[in-house]
Formats: sequence, structure tokens, C-alpha cells
Amino acid sequence: MMKQLLLPALLLAGFAGCDVIEEPDNPVPSTNACEGVSNGYGFRRVLLEDLTGFRCPNCPAAADVAKQLDGIYCEDLVVVAVHCTGVFASPTTTPPDPFSTDFRTAAGEAYVSAFSPPGLPNGLVSRRAFDGSQIVGEDNWSSAIADILGEPAQFEVTFQQVNYDTGTETLDLQVKLDVLRDTVGEHNLVVYLLEDGVIEGQEDNRVPGGIVYPYTHNHVLRDNLNGTWGTQVFNGAITTGQSNVLPINDYVLPANVLEPANCHLVAYIYRVDNDEVMQVTERKLVE
Amino acid sequence: MTLTSRTALSILAVLSVLATSAQQDPPTGANDLQVHGNFNIDGQLYNPDEEIGAVPPPEDWGLNAWGNLIITKGAFEAGLRLESYTPPLLGYPAGEPYTGSGLGYRYARYSQDDLDITVGNFFEQFGSGLAFRSYEERYLGVDNAMDGVRVKFKPTTGVYLKGFIGEQRLGFNSGFTKGPGVVRGVDLELSLNELLDSLAVKGRNLVIGGSFVSKYQEDRDPLLELPENVGLWAARLNYLSPHWNLYAEYAHKINDPNSSNNNIYKDGEALMFNATYVSKGLGVSAGVHSYDNMVFRSNRAAGPFDLNINFLPPLAKQHTYNLPATLYPYATQPNNEVAGQAEVFYKWKKGTALGGKYGTKLAVNGSVAYALDTLRIVDDTVTYDGYTSSLFGTGDRMYFSDFNVELRKKVSSTWEFALTYLNLGFDIETVQGKPGKPLIYADMVILEGMHKLSDANSLRFELQHLSTKQDHGNWATALVEFTFSPHWSLTVMDQYNYGGAVETDEIHYPLGSVAYTRGASRIQVNYGRQRAGIFCVGGVCRAVPAANGLTVSIASTF
Repeated sequence: MMKQLLLPALLLAGFAGCDVIEEPDNPVPSTNACEGVSNGYGFRRVLLEDLTGFRCPNCPAAADVAKQLDGIYCEDLVVVAVHCTGVFASPTTTPPDPFSTDFRTAAGEAYVSAFSPPGLPNGLVSRRAFDGSQIVGEDNWSSAIADILGEPAQFEVTFQQVNYDTGTETLDLQVKLDVLRDTVGEHNLVVYLLEDGVIEGQEDNRVPGGIVYPYTHNHVLRDNLNGTWGTQVFNGAITTGQSNVLPINDYVLPANVLEPANCHLVAYIYRVDNDEVMQVTERKLVE
Repeated sequence: MTLTSRTALSILAVLSVLATSAQQDPPTGANDLQVHGNFNIDGQLYNPDEEIGAVPPPEDWGLNAWGNLIITKGAFEAGLRLESYTPPLLGYPAGEPYTGSGLGYRYARYSQDDLDITVGNFFEQFGSGLAFRSYEERYLGVDNAMDGVRVKFKPTTGVYLKGFIGEQRLGFNSGFTKGPGVVRGVDLELSLNELLDSLAVKGRNLVIGGSFVSKYQEDRDPLLELPENVGLWAARLNYLSPHWNLYAEYAHKINDPNSSNNNIYKDGEALMFNATYVSKGLGVSAGVHSYDNMVFRSNRAAGPFDLNINFLPPLAKQHTYNLPATLYPYATQPNNEVAGQAEVFYKWKKGTALGGKYGTKLAVNGSVAYALDTLRIVDDTVTYDGYTSSLFGTGDRMYFSDFNVELRKKVSSTWEFALTYLNLGFDIETVQGKPGKPLIYADMVILEGMHKLSDANSLRFELQHLSTKQDHGNWATALVEFTFSPHWSLTVMDQYNYGGAVETDEIHYPLGSVAYTRGASRIQVNYGRQRAGIFCVGGVCRAVPAANGLTVSIASTF
């Protein structure tokens, strides 16, 4: 009897498996900055760190994926372009030629060393491990982001009292952390400085000649305001209703920043034991 | 679910209970408990070597080890494999990382009369693999073992049915990890010689087969409407006679947008023909195939070595001499390839003019692979097919060509020589992903000699030379191997990159090796430099980084 049932069952299971899509309902890539609606307070936002380089010919395609996702998820997604590795991000020419800028940062190089991507482009999606790996290829970014977005947040992160002095290019700010759900363990807070609209060259294997100039680099990681791995803000038992404030004072914008008006601040809190980013927020340096 | 060492210990406990109970019962013929297995350890101590670009891992050491244990009793069989990568050897594996120690494979199988059921891990293949092949190449670091259920059933003589459902092994993190997809498949094979008495002709057979394989992976992509169930069917014919073996297989895959085809919805196709003729002293084989958009993985975003459901056989000779095997071996291009190969083997008999006193063997082989002729669809915003193509339409880009001749002759009772010439064309930009590099043309000459010193002792040498005006220029290899039967062998080898038309650092790669064999066990120790190269098995290749150091290999079977 078992013989008679097993194979027909397998046959049925096999032949059930065909989804033919004649005309996929795929959206044409958006050029608008943001079209979606945020999940809002109480839900996790996602940090997408795009590990990239201006001499990485496959990276612009990944940047386009990040841009598309940014247009869909709006405030729920924070994109950071981490230009990294000597192979793909070190300058090869002298100014004003198109590959003369060193986009690398000490933090970016430390992240590459710590997370060991097998190549570029690649990414970290809130630094969570998917299928056993924290390194996520651009084809998997959208589903990895979707995995996290519906989850209730354990923390809320907000910028307070951001004061930027244009004369001295000095910044003072506070980051407030509110605990929304009980949790445990060591948690650190990191603050990034990003810059949009940086014009330089970019290798791109999708265009004749393989080089795009001028290319507009956005979300470029310029500096970490409080070190590569940040500052400890919670440890041990963390209870709902608890809060903490991290002040950062007298921070002077680094020399690699071209236009402070194009800069953004990103703050995120992560679990130190597994590096997972639990909440993230972003705002313009000058609003 | 990731298997833990606790699971492994549980299985070992069950197996040991089986073994204990079996020891209490006297063996009874076919129902005797039998224990088989093998183990293999490869360890390497790395030295830094700036001249060849060898960078040791932080641990200065790499270790790949595994052991299989298989227990059979009557119709039952159970087995497991424990693996350890602490840390893995540099460049290993080809795909998703392996790390830690734990259980890599376990199964239980019942096989009686016409029914064969396996639960747990299994390897399986339908036809030539165009539709489905679950296999492992341990030295390549490719293992896409299934984890699920497989049933084989023979309802009547000459009819063979197979079916399975399961997930695929992906990587190893203190136990094997699995991909996110589910794979299901069925295969029917009719052996007409067995099935129809009227067709029964001694030594001849016509085998007809058909397969259907489907994968399921959830669509969580907000940007694309993706098919969650992707099916592939294949049909095959195989005619066998005492002299002929004719094989043809066609496979068709429905829309399967994935990372390797830029998420297009075009169907995939593959068609292959192989013919072999063999008679006394003569062998002729020829084959052609065309592969179009045939990457089929149980995770759309998996890398090239991971979660492959099918296997696309190569049509290029797998060389065994070091220079042609590791410098420019060809890797199948599954999304876009038209290839052909022909080979003739002839043996002049003893006592003829060309055969001489001991006979002479000649093998001539040629193969070529081109890109498929494709035309990009310009305004592709409705069907997202990407491009148009036709099977066996040959594009302008040549990926690979190989013409080689081997003459092998025993000249006396103690000396035998083999002389080989190879001419290669190699598109390193496509095959090894090195953009901007020119097409490489290389000529190689290899002389191998074997000398019997006494009944127990022998000497073998190889002199290899490769010349090219591209890439790293010329290479020369010399190898001498002494064998002192039955236990010892000693090998010394040097490779030298002296550039020729290309400027190089003129580096030597010396390597010494001692091996000791006793029964089914072998211990080998190597010391020296290992050139960066490519290691291929069956058209699947991984890069091997340059290394300098001591290697110890231990292998045993019981």
C-alpha cells in the first residue's frame, strides 16, 4: 500500500510546481525620492550599508537597487554607502582627475575587516545574519529588508538639540534612546556623518568605456562621530520605559566634507554580541 | 534547521546500539552487520611569502577533515559524515564558507525488492544532470546534498521511477546549513530491452527517460513579481550497442529570474548530443551542446557554487598534467554556451610498423566553446525576457579552444614515454572573471617518462613547458617521482615562471613530497610553494591561492 501511495504523492508534488508569469508586474524604477509610507513609531527601521567603491564596476548597479529600495521604504530605510577596500576605493589619479578622491574611512575599513565580504558590491542589512551570513548581496537586499521591517522595535532613537555652527563647522548634538520593550545585553550607539551629491568618477560596466564622469555619489560615509564601534548605552537587563541620552559636543566636521548642507546624520543602536542593528534614524545636518 | 553536534552524538549512539546488539547475535549471512567508512585529513601550516603573494591566515594553519561511517544490516543502511574545518584551508570551499566541526551528512535507507527509500541526506542524478544532480566534490568544496526523502521504485522489469523532496545543503557552520528553497523531482526511465521481449537483442538497448524538477522559494521581493515555483523538464534517449553509445537530452526551464541572469523572465533551454564508437584498438567520441539561461538554483540570489539543482556537463578535456590542469582549465558557462568536442583514440598493435614491439597509443582531442548568439531586447518593460536567442546559434566570442595530441609508447621492457602537445585559446575575461585581459593563446609540450628500476622500484618524470605572449608568459615544470613499492614514494617538483615575451618576476615554485602507503591508508607530507591557480572538476572550478608551507594529508578506508 505504501508503495502505491508514495510515488503518486511525489509526482503530484512535483507537477504542482510551475508559476508561469507572462507579463510580470514589475515597477519601472522610480526617480522620485520617496513614494512609500512609513510604518511609523514602534516598528524597526533598517540600516542598509552598501559596501561599495568608485573603482568597482559592478557597484553602480547595486547603488541603483539601494536607490529603488529607498524610494519604496522612505523613512523606514537608511542607506549608507561605505566606500571600502584598497582595491576598489583607493584613489589612482591626482586631482582634478576622476579617481583622485579617497572615499575610504577608518570605520569603513574596519567593517570590511570584521565582516569580510567576499567581494564588492555587497551589503549589510542591519547587520543581521541571513542564511548564516551577515554579508548580503544586492539581489537579496529587498527580501532581507522586508524580513526586518515588520518587527516591533525594542528601541527608539531620536536626535535632539542638533546645533551646527557654520562659522567654526562645529557640531553639538544629543541622541536620545527610549526602550520600548524589555531586553538584555550590551548595546552600543554609533553616529555617522554622510554626504550626498559628491561628484567624482565611477567605474560602471554597464556603459561603453566602463567609466561614468561626472557621477553623483550619495549617502557617502564621511566619518563616525563617536568611533568605529560607538559608545555603550545599555548593558545587562534593559527594561521598558528606560531611556538614555548620549551627548556629542564640539565635533568638528572632517576635511573630506565638501558641502555641509548636503550632509546627514545617522544614529543606530546595535547589539554588541551579534552586531545586529536594532534601530536607526537619520536627519539632515542642517534642516 | 542546523544540525548540532548533539544530533551527531545521538545518531552515533543509535549506531553503536545497533552495533552492540549485532555483536550479541551471531552473524547470519546477508543480514550480517557491516561497518564501512573512510576518513581524510588535510592540514597545512602556512608561511608568509611576499614573492608569490602568499598570505597566511591569522591562525597560520588550515585543516579540512572528514570521516564517513556507514552501517548496513540486511535491507537497512545508515550513515553519517563528521566534518571539521578549523579553520578551512585557504581558498576552500568554492562557495558558502565552511567553519567549525559537526555533522555534515546523515541518512537512513531501506532497500528491499523493488523499493528503495532514503530519509535524510542523499545524492541523486537524473540523466546527465541537466535537470537534477545532487553531488559532492570534496576537494572542490562543492556539496549540494539533498536533505529530505527519496523513493526509488521499479514497478515492473525495465521501468525505473525515482522521486524526491528536500532542501539543499548550502554551507557549514558547526554542522551543515541549508538554503531557503525546497526542491522536488520525479524521473521515469524505460529500458526497452528489459521491458519488451520483442526488442530484446543481445548487447543492445534503447533507454528513454524523462524528468521533472521544481523548486519553491518564497517571493519576498517588493520590487519584482517572482515565480515562487519554477519547473524544469527534460527528456533523454540513450542507444547502446557493443560498439555504439548515442545519447541525446533536452531540457526546458520556465521563467526563473535570478541573480545570474539579471532577473530576466526568459525560459531556459539546453540540448546535448554525445556519440561514442569503440572497437578493438579504436575509440571515437564526439559531442555538442548548447546551454541558454540554464542556471537553476534553489535560491535565486545564490552564488555560482551554491545550491545548484542541475549540472551542465562540460565538453572540454579534463587535463591531468599540472600546467594545463591548473593554469587555463575551462569552466562551463551555464547561461550562454555553445560547445563541441571530438576525440579519437587509436592503438597500433604490437608487431606492426608503428606499433613496434610493445604497441603505440595515440589520442587526439579537440574542443571549442563559444558564446551563444543573442540579441538584446531594447524596450523590455513588458515580458522582461532580456534577449532573444536560438539554440546552437554561435556568437562572436570564443570562450575556449583546445587541440591536443598524446603519443604514448613503451620502448623497452623498462622504459615508457608519453609526449603531449596542446594548443589552447582561453578567454580569461569570461572564464576567470578578469576584466580587460586579452584572449590567451598558449602552446604546451609535455614529456613524461616511466622507468622500471626493479620489480619494486620505479622512476617517473615529467617535463612540461607552456609558452604564451599573454597573461604571465612562459612556464616550465619539472617533476621526478621515485616509487619504492609497496610503501614509499618520493617526489620533487619545480615550476618556473620565466615570462618569455611577458615581463615577470621569474619565480621558482619548488615542492617536495613524501608519501607512505600501507593497505588502504596513505600519509603524504609536502613542503614548498604552491602556485596560485585554478582547480576544476567537471567544468566547475575554484581559485586556489598561492601558498608556502607544510602540508600533511592522511587518508584511510575501512
